[in-house]
Amino acid sequence: MNHTLSILLQNEAGALVRVAGLFAARGYNIDTLTVAATHDPAVSRLTLSLQCDDASLSQILQQTRKLVDVLQVAHPATALAA
Amino acid sequence: MNAQPLKAETATDRHPLAGQAMSGAEVIVQVFAGEGVEVMFGYSGGAILPVYDAVFRYNAEHPRANGGEAMPLIVPANEQGAGFMAAGYARASGKVGVAVVTSGPGATNMVTPVRDSMADSIPLVVICGQVGTAAIGSDAFQEAPISNIMGACAKHVFLVTDAAQLEATMRTAFTLARSGRPGPVVVDVPKDVQNTALAWRGSGELALSGYRTRLRTVEQATLSDTDCAALFTALMRAQRPLIYAGGGVIAAEAADALRAFVDAFGLPVTTTLMGLGGFDSTDPLALHLLGMHGTAYANYAVEDCDFVLALGARFDDRVAGVPDKFAPRAKFIAQVDIDPSEIGKVKAVDWHHVGPLTRALDRLTAYGRAHGLHPQLTAWHARVAELKRAHAMNYDRASALVQPYAVLEAINRHTQGRAIVSTGVGQHQMWAAQYFDFRAPRHWLTSGSMGTMGFGLPAAIGAQFAHPDKLVIDIDGDASIRMNIGELETVTTYNLPVKVVVLNNVGDGMVRQWQKLYFKGRFAASDKSLHKKDFVLAAQADGFAWAQRLERTEELEATIAAFLAFEGPAFLEVMIDPDAGVYPMVGPGASYAQMITGDFIPSRAAPVAHEDSPSHMF
Ligand SMILES: Cc1ncc(C[n+]2csc(CCOP(=O)(O)OP(=O)(O)O)c2C)c(N)n1
Ligand SMILES: [Mg+2]
Repeated sequence: MNHTLSILLQNEAGALVRVAGLFAARGYNIDTLTVAATHDPAVSRLTLSLQCDDASLSQILQQTRKLVDVLQVAHPATALAA
Repeated sequence: MNAQPLKAETATDRHPLAGQAMSGAEVIVQVFAGEGVEVMFGYSGGAILPVYDAVFRYNAEHPRANGGEAMPLIVPANEQGAGFMAAGYARASGKVGVAVVTSGPGATNMVTPVRDSMADSIPLVVICGQVGTAAIGSDAFQEAPISNIMGACAKHVFLVTDAAQLEATMRTAFTLARSGRPGPVVVDVPKDVQNTALAWRGSGELALSGYRTRLRTVEQATLSDTDCAALFTALMRAQRPLIYAGGGVIAAEAADALRAFVDAFGLPVTTTLMGLGGFDSTDPLALHLLGMHGTAYANYAVEDCDFVLALGARFDDRVAGVPDKFAPRAKFIAQVDIDPSEIGKVKAVDWHHVGPLTRALDRLTAYGRAHGLHPQLTAWHARVAELKRAHAMNYDRASALVQPYAVLEAINRHTQGRAIVSTGVGQHQMWAAQYFDFRAPRHWLTSGSMGTMGFGLPAAIGAQFAHPDKLVIDIDGDASIRMNIGELETVTTYNLPVKVVVLNNVGDGMVRQWQKLYFKGRFAASDKSLHKKDFVLAAQADGFAWAQRLERTEELEATIAAFLAFEGPAFLEVMIDPDAGVYPMVGPGASYAQMITGDFIPSRAAPVAHEDSPSHMF
């Protein structure tokens, strides 16, 4: 199933690499990825989409929440807000 | 990222040195002092020299009452050794282990211990020197992209490019390492940041609002009456309940709470490799190790149980190789963990709680007692006792060759589960896990998840620094010890009374065991009979005054007694039966019912023939 995640990220050296690296290391393929500024210059918004089943989705949401620079992870479709 | 004081500074909690001028390097050392660092491990080099100099000056200015250094910096043969020393120190003490290395090769040599500590949830703070900020990205001498490399294997990595953030970042690194599920944190510090003139603040950490909010939620989680009632309803219905305890029991310092829970409700306990010591293995209700090389009685108990309570354990593939067939008769599986991502990751559970383990166990014990709940487990206890009797660990006691199990039993008769034991990786590691008693947490130091050969010797060194007066024994393999054999010299340099045992089976015994089972006995690259090393001479060359080789069973008892009684560093090589195997064994892809128990441990089912197919799981 196609899922879109919205991630608020602290603008730290290497933060984007850590998110992308986590998905790659755990075998998830990111289909699309955009990074946008927010009203707070210290925070970026990542929007990414990927294909996976529900169990894998909940696992990658939990893993993403373990990244220290991640402020919030949301899956708007199911409102699984962090 | 903004450095924020955690609370408003008042005159009384102002640090006595607040406002003092310090270099970045001095700030790093001052944070170490504030965090209670009493020893650090590392190797010097250009990009870390300012920090090393600051450590030197700090130690000169702050002698301990006994004349020793306040923060000795222990130098290994290789940075990997420093990382495993810091990890051994952390595992044995429960405190954060600290390692400090230079940029480029110093930092990349640290990758294996960092990954190893991540996989086993061990708190470390690793400081890496980095080339100057202006040179980053220019392929400078000894430059490596440490934030990228370590970011993929540490709990977190900071690259400090703004010197004003250094103090808060350093303090935050310690908080991150020890909070929640512990892990290694790397701080990459460019050389110019180490040399920047700063003013010491004395307090303040990075905000990290996402991490801290999530941490607070987990740390404040409590079990409601409804949660407790749901668990106890299932437990009171169960006839054969079992506790499956993992490394989380050790990390959470929950052994006493587990003891009290078992005393109150009588559940037998099996422990994972990482959980050994979390429950006294000599207790009648202890089933010792479960899993691929678990005791037959623990694995049979898992087969038979109808209720599982997993405590700080994650159903990993060495325990639940086939998750669907793990505990197949369990009608109810409950799980408590500090890490939300572990709940249901491998196996769906019927009840779970994410929160601090000690508090959860205390709460459950109090609830059960208050409601007068006493599971009636007499029949199950009798069955557990019978499993332990009928399927006890055993081996060829009549063999003329020295059996590794006999060596470990002999050592155990002296240590009684009270020594700190580290290991390499392979058969000797599994035998040590199976044949030693474990009476208390933090006495068993092994590379569980990564299975890193070369872990044993440096981990023992680190543990000896944590506990200078305790008996520390490294049970190593002839191949594993070669990986960090340079650290033999570190043992004698610091005159550590570490006892090193090499169980020499002339090769990679564990690899050979798999090659026998799955590759028709073709010993590709696992035989070391052409290797020339004389381990005893090697130990003597590194300054071991006591170094002996044991080859005859008749000499076993006396040699081990003399070895353990020696006051200083001692080295014992034991030429063991090269064909000795690790049994029981639940092969990859097999269920516990298909466990093979070998020729000396009675099995309760006819052994199932092994598939002659290579494994993808080794
Ligand atoms: C760094 C590393 N390389 C390779 C392996 C794969 N491996 C696992 S056990 C083993 C053999 C270990 O031999 P030894 O230390 O002599 O222990 P034994 O099994 O003989 O007791 C090997 C090569 C590993 N675990 N770690
Ligand atoms: Mg060997």
